[in-house]
Amino acid sequence: MTLLPWKRKVRESSTQTTSFEDLAMPLLPSLYNLASWLTRNPTDAEDLLQETFLKALRGFSSFEQGSNFKAWIFRILRNTYLTSRSGLAALRTIALDDELDEYGDSEPRQYPEGVIDRQTPEMNLIRLSDRVALERALQKLPASLLEVILLCDMEELKYKEIATILDIPIGTVMSRIARARAFLRRELQSGTTLAREERA
Amino acid sequence: MTDHLSSLTLNALADGELSADQLGIAKEHLDTCPSCTSNALAQALLKTATARLGQRYELPAQVQRRVERLVTQRASNIDEPINGDRIPPSRSRKWIAFSGWATAAALLVILCNGVFVQRRTHQSEVASVSHSALITEICDQHIATLAANLPPQVLSSDRHTVKPWFQGKIPFSFNLPENLPADTKLDGANLTYLHNHPVAQLLYSIGRHHVSIFVQEKTGIDDSSPLMAEHSGFQLAGFRTADLEVIAVSDVDSTRLSELVGTIERTQSNIHRQP
Repeated sequence: MTLLPWKRKVRESSTQTTSFEDLAMPLLPSLYNLASWLTRNPTDAEDLLQETFLKALRGFSSFEQGSNFKAWIFRILRNTYLTSRSGLAALRTIALDDELDEYGDSEPRQYPEGVIDRQTPEMNLIRLSDRVALERALQKLPASLLEVILLCDMEELKYKEIATILDIPIGTVMSRIARARAFLRRELQSGTTLAREERA
Repeated sequence: MTDHLSSLTLNALADGELSADQLGIAKEHLDTCPSCTSNALAQALLKTATARLGQRYELPAQVQRRVERLVTQRASNIDEPINGDRIPPSRSRKWIAFSGWATAAALLVILCNGVFVQRRTHQSEVASVSHSALITEICDQHIATLAANLPPQVLSSDRHTVKPWFQGKIPFSFNLPENLPADTKLDGANLTYLHNHPVAQLLYSIGRHHVSIFVQEKTGIDDSSPLMAEHSGFQLAGFRTADLEVIAVSDVDSTRLSELVGTIERTQSNIHRQP
């Protein structure tokens, strides 16, 4: 069926305008949540969210239809965050963060992983059910590790998508995830030890 | 098999990122290694716990409404009226038309008032959001310039060097003052971008305080928001001409900043767009 020119125009225009709303609005809660985690301040999170949407709206004409919109808009949010005050402050911690090894340690490990990080499943369960301790541990994570773990665990993005958003190689995504989880487990472990010592 | 699974493998397993071959090898090892099984379980539990805990910040309703309005307003600007898709009027009857028109006229007056008020509210809200985003971006640019600690792209205290440097780089022109307030000097300038538009960032010093003055072309949005403000401890001052919007940011006190901005404003008499 051949459409008349004006009908075609209506269809193209409405596809473009409804697409942005259809694609972006369901992601609004996720974007706000990530913005809040990154900025750790409600006002800055709102600013970051609004600026992200303004930039996304402006750049939507250049967005390639059919490609990964979620990765595209999360990348805008992340880049906008990096040029913000809190983002610049977080950037300064990257140099130190890069010195961490695969396990999240700044010192070389003296023992193989299998020797010291083996806990019973019961111990693991006890540690992981401690919601407050995990929350505290997440808040202590450096920004570069926090963003990668939130994108992976909370947003359930694939390594490839995370690599696109953060503009880093997949290998770096994998090592950052490993470091982030090692950091969290170590924090939870030290929290449990402290609690046990306090009880004793 | 004696080698334990690496932490990268255990994480990829928890994240479902192992290929079929890798998964087969990992499962084979897990069948015989309680230690790695325990670790794999812990990684999976940690992932679930983090995912649950990560959904912590709930989107406030007013933020959602504001963003929705912003999107709607912007989207409606893209829409254009299309000729030809009008429904032809039905057969006219004079008495129906007369009473209909009379009622419509009355309703129109009421509706127009309502729509006008609502539209003004929407427009002012969008303008306010855009202005607030602009102020945030300006402060970020100023902080980024200070943090980078790099020399300006054009390093000169001579206005006859700084102004011509922008020729062909920005689609507008501006004037720089010859005589500056006491203890104030021009350090240079950068070409930068605000909201993806080229902007002149003039760098001044007042004593030991650094000042960034952003000169940009006026946007299409009817924004009458005041340019004097304070944002995150920084002072902002500015002015608008027919074509330009000028915003200065610094940590110097507002009086001295306004004095510099006033001096620059007085020189903007012969600004014009570059072809």
